[in-house]
Amino acid sequence: MPTGVYLSVPFCRSKCSYCNFASGVFSQSQFARYVERACAEFANAQSMAQTHGAQLDSGVDTVYLGGGTPTTLAPEDLCRLFAHMRQSFAIAPAAEITVECAPGTLDEAVLAALVASGVNRISFGVQSFVDREAAAVGRLHTRDVTLADIARLRAAGITNINLDLIAGLPHQTAESWEFSVSEVIETGVPHVSVYMLEVDEDSRLGREVMAGGTRYHAHFVPDDAMTIDFYEVACQRLNAAGIAQYEISNFARPGFESRHNLKYWTRQPYLGVGVDAHSMLGAEGGEAVRIAKPDTLDGFLYPTPLMPPVVTRVSRAQALEERFFLGLRLNQGVSPAELEREFGAEAMGPQRAVVARCVAEGLLEEFAERVRLTPRGRLVSNEVFERFLE
Amino acid sequence: MDQSLIRNFAIIAHIDHGKSTLADRLLELTGSLTQREMQAQVLDSMDLERERGITIKAHAVRMMYPAKDGKTYQLNLIDTPGHVDFSYEVSRSLASCEGALLVVDASQGVEAQTLANAYLAIHNGLEIVPVINKIDLPGADIPKTQEAIENAVGLDATDALLISAKTGLGVEEVLEAVVQRIPAPKGKPEHPLQALIFDSWFDPYKGVIVSVRVMEGTLRRNQKIRLMSNGKTYNVDALGVSTPKPVEVEQLDAGEAGFLVANIKNVADTKIGDTVTDDERPCNHALPGFEELKPMVFAGLYTVDSHEHTLLRDALAKLRLNDSSFFFEPESSVALGFGFRCGFLGLLHMEIIQERLEREYNLDLIVTAPGVRYKVSKTDGSVIEVDNPSRWPETTDILKVEEPVIDATILTAEEYMGGIFKLLEEKRGRQKSFEYVGSARVMLHYELPLCEIVLDFYDRLKSVSRGYASLDYHLAGYWTSPMVKLDIMVAGESVDALSLIVHKDSAYERGRLLSAKMKELIPRQMFEVAIQAAIGAKIVARETVGAIRKNVIAKCYGGDISRKRKLLDKQKEGKKRMKRIGSVEIPQEAFLAVLKIGEDSNK
Repeated sequence: MPTGVYLSVPFCRSKCSYCNFASGVFSQSQFARYVERACAEFANAQSMAQTHGAQLDSGVDTVYLGGGTPTTLAPEDLCRLFAHMRQSFAIAPAAEITVECAPGTLDEAVLAALVASGVNRISFGVQSFVDREAAAVGRLHTRDVTLADIARLRAAGITNINLDLIAGLPHQTAESWEFSVSEVIETGVPHVSVYMLEVDEDSRLGREVMAGGTRYHAHFVPDDAMTIDFYEVACQRLNAAGIAQYEISNFARPGFESRHNLKYWTRQPYLGVGVDAHSMLGAEGGEAVRIAKPDTLDGFLYPTPLMPPVVTRVSRAQALEERFFLGLRLNQGVSPAELEREFGAEAMGPQRAVVARCVAEGLLEEFAERVRLTPRGRLVSNEVFERFLE
Repeated sequence: MDQSLIRNFAIIAHIDHGKSTLADRLLELTGSLTQREMQAQVLDSMDLERERGITIKAHAVRMMYPAKDGKTYQLNLIDTPGHVDFSYEVSRSLASCEGALLVVDASQGVEAQTLANAYLAIHNGLEIVPVINKIDLPGADIPKTQEAIENAVGLDATDALLISAKTGLGVEEVLEAVVQRIPAPKGKPEHPLQALIFDSWFDPYKGVIVSVRVMEGTLRRNQKIRLMSNGKTYNVDALGVSTPKPVEVEQLDAGEAGFLVANIKNVADTKIGDTVTDDERPCNHALPGFEELKPMVFAGLYTVDSHEHTLLRDALAKLRLNDSSFFFEPESSVALGFGFRCGFLGLLHMEIIQERLEREYNLDLIVTAPGVRYKVSKTDGSVIEVDNPSRWPETTDILKVEEPVIDATILTAEEYMGGIFKLLEEKRGRQKSFEYVGSARVMLHYELPLCEIVLDFYDRLKSVSRGYASLDYHLAGYWTSPMVKLDIMVAGESVDALSLIVHKDSAYERGRLLSAKMKELIPRQMFEVAIQAAIGAKIVARETVGAIRKNVIAKCYGGDISRKRKLLDKQKEGKKRMKRIGSVEIPQEAFLAVLKIGEDSNK
């Protein structure tokens, strides 16, 4: 089965207050070594997979550069990364090749490098079309810059574009949210992601909100009820505009769903390279192996035996659980009959009981021999997923 | 030993007034311990005793002191517990002595506890030597402290000893005063044996070790002894004294204190205050003052993990080997599963037991709200004793309820009286007397229902007086009071572990506070949860916990499924630690909330 390749590039021009990823502002002197290490990992991928008893198909049909902000790398570094990737893997001509990008980082040289490297999909971290909201969380772009970048991409031939929005940013109101959603639809892009702000210990803004403080505009973060309203408005508006929801946070015009991200949710094999990158590869005997790389930059740049990747063999029971808690993220849901054929009636017995309970509580719904989250179930999906875990 | 060269004495002091430090100095000065052997505060040997700065068990330590008159004296220091919960034990320790040092902090003055014990000592006919400690501290006010001793205790304090136990200043004079001012014991070695048990504990190797003071006669090794309260007889295997290292002796004569080992298996057989006599030549009568200890405070003990129930049972059984003053019996709760109804001497005693169970036996406990034992007269003519809300009779079956009442003595500074009066009134107290003892210092005598003390009284008293009030109490009898059972219902189901017996007049307020607290503590569930407080069928308060509206991970960043699974696992684990009542998950803290509502109402 062809592999999806993910490369994490943890560098940013500035760290946004809501960011809970292993990315940040690092010295440019580390960029070159990072690229070198990533190239080495591409070359080493097959033997790495063998070490962990995993299978790695060198045929690749999706590539995703995420971050961080991959476009902070120099054009020649970007070209070098793709060149080495193509040396180590057979990237299909029709492969989906996505690069995440912050509006305003796409200068002519970078754009040329991306086009030359075969990149055919760009994901923009817009978050808000209201400049004040974007600025409040540390985004460095404005609405005008975003619109200009979209135009330049299209002129360069890249039309498969995703825009990210965050519901629940400081200062957001029903009107300003409506505006951002309208602007997204207005651009005519084929893919939109809508994330509800995650308030947790892993971001500065999250910590501040939890502590009840006022830094990072934390006291202007809308409450849960408003954020839910925003999300529901977005679902409704995007669906009506023909950008249909296909996952909890993702919307696309038909045929423009992210093929790479779909691999995560449908448990297709993918290889992760870079800081805090995650792989899921097939293993002998039909089970899967998950491999997590060190989550600090130094850990990746200067690998030592003291910080080995975390390797987890997914058991058959866990694989079934994953099928539920990943598969149910998708609007297509999961097929209990299909899972029963794959995992057996005995393993499915308790899970069917959970399904029945969730259906009774209005969290899941049955349709055409499949089950999927209801709109209410989507909002409390963690509560639903938890029930499928042992 | 020549009886005229023996002195038995105790030290009476408030917590932190320097009792243990003084004891350590005395041991050091008499060469009982070298500096090197001193561990801070030798006598408080239990970890808990050291940490809390309180003495729980009584000890007797023998010191040899070469006095200025050229003679060497045997000084037996009988260290006593320092908390109101253990006032009976204190009275028995004091009964073992002819004198006591009354230690008062020069900057703090006399506290209620000290006063109560000083009265107890006077009542027992002890010679009291006032000692003013911490005179080296900047806040020391010697004349004021003398005045307080004279006014509150009624003792002449003009020749009080002025010392600093910390620096050793004046400590030598304390030893001289013990020799000069405290009388030698009386009692004849040739009389029939009459010895007072003032403590006992269980040693896994030797069995029960009994601390005794021989009042009359002689206690010898291999003697057949009899315990007068239960008639049980034993053969004395060993006798000894603590220096504080244990040293074996052949006999203890009238006037001496020490310990005996007699192959006694059960600490409950050696009751404090009991009399030891010779089986063949018994004394005519037992020593006065013996009482069977009765628990005053009751609570349910449960393990958080219901599988640890048998571990708790074993731990309780082991603890009881060493402490016969607490009792336990199995009980079960719909909410918490299998547990034990336990009776304690008081709140501190309860805390100590709980802490020892958690520490020494590594158990995670849920303790239900402490309560007292009521006498309930039923319409059918019967009278039952109820200490467990789940056994409370139906309202229609109750004729009258009597609740235990205490006599409380509170010593405080004038400026805090307002707050204290208000608190006492809220707690249904009745004033018996109110007097000034020294300038700006006030002594209050009140009658108070015991159940009002056990919940949060200490903390409230401390907070309204900024720590400058002390309390002592003893059981005084019963009042007839309109007590009712307050139930808490979660999603329509009554949670037995949250039920409380309260006075009718405060039932509404408590119900309101408790349901508000529950609302804070019970996390949102998938559906709306009603929390109700009820008396019988009548709902007196209601709160609602709204349903979860949003719990969603938006992003699967870079295919990191492990992070997501960890999050879900953690969420699931959190729910496992909760107790499930019907379809509602209730966290452990909710069961402790009953204890805390008073604190909040105070804020």
